[in-house]
Amino acid sequence: MNPFITAFAKGIERSGVDPIKVSVVSDIPFDPGVVNHLHIDFFHTIRGRAIAFGTGLKLGNPALQVVPIIGDLVTLGGNHFVHAGRRNMDLLVICVNNFVYRKIAGELAPSIPPSFSPYSTFEEPFNVPHLANSCGAIYTARWTALHTDELTLSVSEALKKRGFCVIEVLLPGPNYYRRIKEIESDLVNFYYENSVIRDGEDPRNVGITPEGKIVVGKFTDKERPTFIDSYNAQLSSVLGDEFIPYGG
Amino acid sequence: MRRLMRADPKGVLTGVHSLNGNQACVEGALAAGCRFLAAYPIVPAIEAWEWFLERAKDVGATFIQMEDEISALAAVLGASWTGKRSMTITSGPGFSLMMEHLGLAVMLETPCVIVDVQRVGPSIGTPDRPAQGDMMQARWGSHGDYEIIALSPSSPQEMFDFTIKAFNLSERYRVPVMVMADREVAHRKEEVVIPPPSEIMVEPRRYYRGAKSRYLPFKRDRDFVPPMVDIGDGYRFHVTGLTHDDRGYPIMTEECQEYNVHPLVRKIRRYVDEIVQVQEADTEDAEVVIISYGAPSRAALKAMGEARRSGVKVGSLKLVTVWPFPDKRVAELAKKVKAFVVPEMNYGQMVLEVERCSHGRANVVFVPYEEKGFEDDLLSAIRKVCQEKKVREGIIQYHG
Repeated sequence: MNPFITAFAKGIERSGVDPIKVSVVSDIPFDPGVVNHLHIDFFHTIRGRAIAFGTGLKLGNPALQVVPIIGDLVTLGGNHFVHAGRRNMDLLVICVNNFVYRKIAGELAPSIPPSFSPYSTFEEPFNVPHLANSCGAIYTARWTALHTDELTLSVSEALKKRGFCVIEVLLPGPNYYRRIKEIESDLVNFYYENSVIRDGEDPRNVGITPEGKIVVGKFTDKERPTFIDSYNAQLSSVLGDEFIPYGG
Repeated sequence: MRRLMRADPKGVLTGVHSLNGNQACVEGALAAGCRFLAAYPIVPAIEAWEWFLERAKDVGATFIQMEDEISALAAVLGASWTGKRSMTITSGPGFSLMMEHLGLAVMLETPCVIVDVQRVGPSIGTPDRPAQGDMMQARWGSHGDYEIIALSPSSPQEMFDFTIKAFNLSERYRVPVMVMADREVAHRKEEVVIPPPSEIMVEPRRYYRGAKSRYLPFKRDRDFVPPMVDIGDGYRFHVTGLTHDDRGYPIMTEECQEYNVHPLVRKIRRYVDEIVQVQEADTEDAEVVIISYGAPSRAALKAMGEARRSGVKVGSLKLVTVWPFPDKRVAELAKKVKAFVVPEMNYGQMVLEVERCSHGRANVVFVPYEEKGFEDDLLSAIRKVCQEKKVREGIIQYHG
């Protein structure tokens, strides 16, 4: 099975969270076939909107642990990512990055590093942990498919935290390259040879470049009031006893 | 037999109140059990947003100002799956942004209500000027094949009544329902009568009652509508916006496309007679019928009275549901009347439907909105069309 999904399932188990209360929301281009192996509530929505949909789930039922797994690499969903971070919406966002949009031949994703595309690219990729941290995420980490134990630990830690947590997962397996260049094993080798664990590294320094090392690890872990905390605090201060705090 | 339930007294502000259309719409939503609003504030719908915030504490409702209207509708869909009645309120520009999620709402068969307080366009247009330019967008705005329900209120009282109706239809058919208001109705302040909770009937959500292990999210009842469950209750279900089977798993074959999409259309078309509602006045002996919806129907009734007094037999057909369009009734009337006169605050949208359904049997006159109002134009259009000796092809454009 997909090493990421195995680690994710183990992470839920290790966190002690009731799997019934875990709901995964994903988007296009993330392949729902991957999550269909999991026996949990699962919403597969449209291109890039998983975080927005997840916000509704979380506010509708604050007892849920909502996990948007996004494959669009902060493109269409960029604004939702930024604002969910700003609000500190209680979501665990997993950015699945395999350097191309899965299933779509040769289209470039904004997190793609130069030289991985047929004609290379001139666009700077996003440094996802840095972006998340700047937006206000309370937990940021990055692991590759080879770091299954660390990924499991990160998922279990993040599930227990209240607030906007972001884990970037680097996966092999872009169909396009498998077909055209048989590069899949190369990508795994690339991860194996170039990734270096640096827990606590400043997210500013973890951008992925073709020349440099892939820095993985747990980068930030802090506390901040969540959206629902601030909502309750603000409305209580304005309305006093009239207001019954929401969720909990 | 379906059973309606009485409204939750917490959300019902019984009494006679002076409210504008936006406020009345929110009162209707709260009376119908709406407890979640996600929106991005926009003129001329902003009073609805403010009023919901004002009232949320009384009913224990939740609200969030999202980053845009795309995410507003996404959040509404998410909240609806947790069992909360949810709505969003917007105007033209936001309505355009919502179209992709409207398709998702149709595909996931998620009950929700979208209120569009229309303003002139295209693009930003003039935020504070009324229009009815989104009527075709409401029907055809999202890609692919689907059927949709849209209502059009003409007064604050109808904003209240139709919003309740919208929630009820939405839960009954598991389809997003649109309330197509306009600035004129939303900003007009009038007396709104809110009945006691015992007199407001609300459609309960249709929940699945079988064994948890046997739940399939898209297994339909006999009326093509699948029963629902709330997320997080242990049913462990999957749903997707991709073409899917009963389990909600993506199966992208030709057979599954048919299997999936056919019922989405059927569940509305089969019950079209139950859904469609019109309000008729003096159509029995009418030679000319004014077909109107929303704010212009107020001018239509006035013009009708005036014309009757001067001896012209005029009737009125006011659309409550604009989508689905009352095809049958308009076709019936077309056999009897000389002409239809259609006033709209746009360059001709629902008049196309009137022309389609009249099958060339009656003249169809389109009266566009002008600053000075509809009434005089309607009257002279009626007088003019009465002089027509035969049925003319296509739509007759009235120039005042």
